[in-house]
Amino acid sequence: MSSGKLSHSVAILLKALSLGYQFGFEMMEVTGLPSGTVYPALRRLERDGLVSSNWEATEDAVKEQRPARRYYVLTRAGREVESMATKRYPLLSRLIPQKLVKTT
Amino acid sequence: MSSLGRAREKLSLRELGRPGRVDKLDRWVFPFAEAIVPAPKRLDWVREWQAELWQLRHDSRRRSREQNELAETLSLAHGLIADAAWLRWDWLKESARGSAAWCLTVLGFYCLLCAGMERALEGSWQAFLHSLTAHFMGSFVFVAVPAVFVAISTYPPRPLKCDSGHTHAGRRLSGRARWNLFLGVKVLLTLMLGFLATLVATVPVGLAIGPFAPWGLDWAELLMYALMVTVGMRWALLNQERRCHKCLRVMGQPTRVGPPSRNFLHWSGMELVCADGHGRLHVAEMQGSWCWYDRWVELDPAWQGLFGA
Repeated sequence: MSSGKLSHSVAILLKALSLGYQFGFEMMEVTGLPSGTVYPALRRLERDGLVSSNWEATEDAVKEQRPARRYYVLTRAGREVESMATKRYPLLSRLIPQKLVKTT
Repeated sequence: MSSLGRAREKLSLRELGRPGRVDKLDRWVFPFAEAIVPAPKRLDWVREWQAELWQLRHDSRRRSREQNELAETLSLAHGLIADAAWLRWDWLKESARGSAAWCLTVLGFYCLLCAGMERALEGSWQAFLHSLTAHFMGSFVFVAVPAVFVAISTYPPRPLKCDSGHTHAGRRLSGRARWNLFLGVKVLLTLMLGFLATLVATVPVGLAIGPFAPWGLDWAELLMYALMVTVGMRWALLNQERRCHKCLRVMGQPTRVGPPSRNFLHWSGMELVCADGHGRLHVAEMQGSWCWYDRWVELDPAWQGLFGA
């Protein structure tokens, strides 16, 4: 997928992922996008190899007394597309703040 | 109890926090959306959404910001269903890609399209049926029979080697029966499409050459039948050759094997593989007495871990 084919929503999601936001509701919070946009977009990005997902270790989740989450991270191809998208939409960098602490 | 059942029991939303709008989703929307998700992906989907809804329920900052609870619930319900529907749609697309059922569906669709166009050109059902009968018995049969004979004798269908007629578990027909049935239906649909497409195409051809050479229309029609049947039969047989012997899916991921300069010393050509890992197909660069057909190599089930999701 080239940056020319990226929608604004997908570019925002890639930016959020690159800044350390890792799971669906966290991305909904920071981007303001609805769940009906975020989840199908994440699935599509994963299918296209721009994003990979992995389950949180059960011990970590149990320690925080919550169910294990599915975390998404950018792949190498995803990082390349994200940097192209950032060049194309420079305002993305100002739209989403850097993640400072891990969400619990 | 299944692993899915255990996961649901363990992570039931009602046990995860106090009642609220999430319970409405859990009671009404969640089971509906869950049923839409394809079975192989359902367990992960349920786990992921339950974790996400837990986050929503326990995020006090978010709760205090929310003004319209109904709008938020509707948005979440839309998210659940949109996500499930996307997974189902993607799974359907993946399942249909290159499959025998998809091939027959597309051929059938084009046949219906051509029949519809011919019906529209004829103006009435009676004229349409009369035209079909007259052209089929009057000219198509005389061209199609020898053309089919020539196509099969110059490119005989490859015998199925991987299945000795045993029925696979969960399937009524044996592999050989499914292979032959698919080939038969595909050839029939291809011939029907050739016939109907020629009928439709003769109308503009007739308008173009009819005023100058009325006798030429019948010859043009015969020529078009011969062309359509020959090309169609060739395509049907080649298409059959490039399908997996077990699942009938079109094989992909073509890879060059061996240097062509050593053709007389070692095998060289292209290798295709079944996406589900059933086998490989060796397509020789040059056919010879040692290799008249593409060679099917069945893969041991142990290989299947490397294929598919």
